[in-house]
Amino acid sequence: MAGTTLVVTSGKGGVGKTTTVANIGTALAQKKHSVVLIDADIGLRNLDVVMGVENRIVYNLVDVIEGRCRKQQAMIRDRKFNNLYLIPAAQTRDKDSVTPEQMKDLCTELAEEFDFVLIDCPAGIEQGFRNAIAGAQKALIVTTPEVSAIRDADRVIGLLEASLLRDIHLIINRLNHRMVKKGDMMSTADIISLLSVPLLGVIPESEDVVISTNRGVPLVHERNSKAGKALQRIAARLNGEDVPLDDGQGDGFMDRVKRFIWS
Amino acid sequence: MLRAIRRFFGEKASGQLARKRMQVVLMHDRLDLSPEILDALKNDIITVLSRYMEIDRNTIRVDLEQGKDYAALVSNVHVKRVFRRAESV
Repeated sequence: MAGTTLVVTSGKGGVGKTTTVANIGTALAQKKHSVVLIDADIGLRNLDVVMGVENRIVYNLVDVIEGRCRKQQAMIRDRKFNNLYLIPAAQTRDKDSVTPEQMKDLCTELAEEFDFVLIDCPAGIEQGFRNAIAGAQKALIVTTPEVSAIRDADRVIGLLEASLLRDIHLIINRLNHRMVKKGDMMSTADIISLLSVPLLGVIPESEDVVISTNRGVPLVHERNSKAGKALQRIAARLNGEDVPLDDGQGDGFMDRVKRFIWS
Repeated sequence: MLRAIRRFFGEKASGQLARKRMQVVLMHDRLDLSPEILDALKNDIITVLSRYMEIDRNTIRVDLEQGKDYAALVSNVHVKRVFRRAESV
């Protein structure tokens, strides 16, 4: 059976697409699935650094598409899991060196071999975006609780629906529960009602994300990180597991004590 | 601290303000319809209205009006005759 191809997109830059791809991919690999990540951000590659494999790049996505190497040669194996691979973007080419048809063919081929194909989409809605979504069956929209991110997310959802990609789910990143409680940040419910797209998960704002990208080790390896756990739950839901939609507040004893004190 | 003082003097929390602004902005963004969609909408309106009344197909106009905090669909149709009973679908 062919695997699932997912594109992670947002419109706006810097909302956490690459972090999401790295962590969901790693979490799915932890669950024994075979996973390949594609960095579709040609010219501005980053997924390799977040995954910590930047030293091992020989060939890239454009080399595969232009037939300069076999796809196995461009796939970099993860440092920890041997069922997780990355196809890096080309750094010295521009986004027009790939066409949507070529991406579609590549994704179809990869879906034959892997359980999950995750595509990291570039910011914006131009050629790079068109390429990234061409081969995807499902889309994950990443947004933050800020007006600019939400407006761009809405625009991207419209474009995805227009190109007949209708299986869309939402991930809210960097939610700050303290600010929501004070009324100074839009809540999960506010964002869902604005975008009217089903929610896949909420990732709380966390310093752990910066630390993990500094190290080049995805957060889901970290046991005690709330953001890491939220990403684990998102991966579990993608895996079809029935995980309750906790909005990342945490449900441990200390979390409840803290909440009791704060409120 | 400064914020707490301002809150005390009646400054509103910004979350709901953001939500309301986004409601309006997204509505405007989404209403930026293509001429084809407007045409399809116009034809659908004609179809529905024709079940209840005889209308002048050439005079129908469908416009989107945008105000400061609302958006409205304005349609003008000349009605020639109203049927006593709606025609069955």
